[in-house]
Amino acid sequence: MRLSVERQVDLARLINIAALFALIGVLAGSLHLQFGVGEQPCPLCLVQRSGMIGLAVGPMMNLLWGIRARHYALSILAASVGAAGSVRQIFLHIADAADPGYGPDFFGLHLYTWAFVTFAVGVVGCAVLLLWEAPLTSGDQGLRGTPGLMRVAAYTAITWVILDAILIAVSVIPECGLGMCPDDPSDISGLGDTGGWVLIGLMGVLSLAIGVLLDRRRPARA
Amino acid sequence: MLSMFVLWLVVFAGIVLRWRWTPGIVIVTLVWTAVLLKLHMNDAIPLNF
Repeated sequence: MRLSVERQVDLARLINIAALFALIGVLAGSLHLQFGVGEQPCPLCLVQRSGMIGLAVGPMMNLLWGIRARHYALSILAASVGAAGSVRQIFLHIADAADPGYGPDFFGLHLYTWAFVTFAVGVVGCAVLLLWEAPLTSGDQGLRGTPGLMRVAAYTAITWVILDAILIAVSVIPECGLGMCPDDPSDISGLGDTGGWVLIGLMGVLSLAIGVLLDRRRPARA
Repeated sequence: MLSMFVLWLVVFAGIVLRWRWTPGIVIVTLVWTAVLLKLHMNDAIPLNF
């Protein structure tokens, strides 16, 4: 069975949307730790968040501008910078065997280790998608002109990433002001476990609402 | 470190509005992120490679 180029482009778009939701999941975990548990992110954690946001840029551009090799390249570069931050933090904490690590662990690994895993998977994922020639050479112009469920999902994911970035940017102001962040920031009183997930859930609902609205407002390309 | 995320918001505006120079701002943002990472590498890590 051989898929048509259009089908292959659709499949590549689906993978890009799934990648965005995976990144949203990782960011949701860190945002829950910050706003639910009340643990402020360290400077290295913020560098890794920046890498995560950068990793999302490639799929966002693929979905809105069309699938191109250079968009994957941008994600690989972002993953490299983010991975540098997470490796630095891993080294800081494995150098001393008595060091319990920074923050709580999740399924046996600290968040900076999971961040490194995410960046590594991102690089491998981009490399694999770069081997897939048909979507790259199809002349795809993005899904702005193709209304439907996939466009709603894409707009929802893109909006969610942007809302996450806005929330992170705003939360940096009280923690760090306009300058550098403290190495070991003091904790804040969070919204609690449930409150943190409710906040993340509300961001998801808002993103979905914006995604549906954008899909309805933007007509199909003639 | 706020600047890092402000730059990402500019990148997102560029993606949504299809600014041609958006990939360039992505590169600048990543370089700036790397600079901030370097500025935070204060402690020597006793690793023997």
